[in-house]
Amino acid sequence: MTVDTVERIFSRVLDAPQVGPETDFFDQGGDSLLATRVLSAIARETGVELTIDDFLLAPTPAGLARTIAGAGR
Amino acid sequence: MRVIVVGAGLSGLTAAADLAAAGADVTVLEARDRVGGRTRGIEVAPGSWADAGAAYLGDRHTALHAMLDRLGLKTTSTTMLGASRFSLGGGTRTRDGRFPPLNAVALGELFDELDAVTARVRPDAPWLTPGAADLDALTAAEWAERTLRHPDARLFFPLFLGEMMAADPAAVSVLHMAFYLRSGGGLNYLNAFEGGAQQDRVDGGAHQLCEALAAGLGDRLRLRSPVQAIHQDSDAAVVHTDDAAYRGDAVVVAVPPLLADAIEYRPGLPAPRAGRRTRPGCAVKVHLVYAAPLWRDAGLSGWSVSARGPLLSTVDDSPADGAVGVLTGFVTGAEALRFAALDPAAQRAEAVDQVAALFPDLPAPIGVHVTDWVSAPYSRGCYAALSGPGDWVRNGPHLTAAHHRVHWAGTETSTEFFGLMEGAIRAGHRVANQILSVPAVGRTR
Repeated sequence: MTVDTVERIFSRVLDAPQVGPETDFFDQGGDSLLATRVLSAIARETGVELTIDDFLLAPTPAGLARTIAGAGR
Repeated sequence: MRVIVVGAGLSGLTAAADLAAAGADVTVLEARDRVGGRTRGIEVAPGSWADAGAAYLGDRHTALHAMLDRLGLKTTSTTMLGASRFSLGGGTRTRDGRFPPLNAVALGELFDELDAVTARVRPDAPWLTPGAADLDALTAAEWAERTLRHPDARLFFPLFLGEMMAADPAAVSVLHMAFYLRSGGGLNYLNAFEGGAQQDRVDGGAHQLCEALAAGLGDRLRLRSPVQAIHQDSDAAVVHTDDAAYRGDAVVVAVPPLLADAIEYRPGLPAPRAGRRTRPGCAVKVHLVYAAPLWRDAGLSGWSVSARGPLLSTVDDSPADGAVGVLTGFVTGAEALRFAALDPAAQRAEAVDQVAALFPDLPAPIGVHVTDWVSAPYSRGCYAALSGPGDWVRNGPHLTAAHHRVHWAGTETSTEFFGLMEGAIRAGHRVANQILSVPAVGRTR
């Protein structure tokens, strides 16, 4: 999964047009409820199920894309 | 112009204050020996108050903020620091933050589904939502049965709905659930403390709002005056209590729908205020009082969520000065009905035992206060009336339509922030404008 895909999911869930690879989810109004919605979208699109702790450790599109790539190996 | 207001809760008193300010001759009739309705303060220690009823507010609650400013009241933040306790099967666990130890993807799917159905509702008139009849035919429990697959989503859904709207999923229609969530600002706003609908409390208690409004009305307010009947003819409306009759050009009925239907109307209403399946909101609030917020010493926020009752969640509601520690337990949904039927000693014992299991380091509380809204005869439920299948479609069109000289207020008549203090205040302003905009022809002299 590319960073672009996670950016698109962030943008949709946060209802925020400006999301870059290093955008911190929690600086853009995200909270744990919305984080679960990012995780469900990632699971739908990649089949990779991440935990909330995975998200908290890397709450940016670039960080999550790396976590997904790691989980897929 | 003479106006009789029935009910001295936040909505009725807001309307009365607006009407009095516009020069109307206002009388407020209240059944209880206190004002406030579903706001009520209890003094948990000398000078320290807890909200036994409505408590929380957010920045989008603009009418409430305007009223707080006007009355000189302040707010205090609900910010929670520290770890939470969860008892969701397999023992009690401590976790940082408020996120429960459940499958996050499953909860995300639950919130996706809830968000999708919430987005479908027409918020200003839920009964006109495309497909309203179908959404109103199904209970939230049936919806969950069809929609949710993962056991963690099925476990969490009733807890979430209990917390959000004091509802047993079997008691509300999908349309009501979706409308309630939408009306309150959406899933995320309604759920959030910081940046959401629970961001703040009224410093010293939300009951001060009604007390201040009542003080401004002076002897225009009559307590212990339950209204039995409202009779109208072409000249006037007459509001009957047990021992008096009040004649007015207009009447505001500002009580929950189940209570509005207990009044006798002549001529009769075109449709009842409550639907056939409308039930009281199912909330009991338990306050456990400690010498100080002692859980903070152990790095805990006071927040807990449990799959088994009575206290399905707890939250730190200590006064801002920390003079005393207050842990508020919420008993909601079906569990509230069971708990409300227990005798006071059993209620107290169950609550104290559960807190001892959740927070084993705490000493025994120095005070326990149980506030049962389900059984309260002059509220019939809290946070707000719950509409069952068919209720919105049948009753929605009559929501704010005057019955000749009788007008309707109360938080259940506000499609904005329905069920919240903000909805009560908006409904009060709306009904006052409705009455003041009627031409003066036909008024009694």
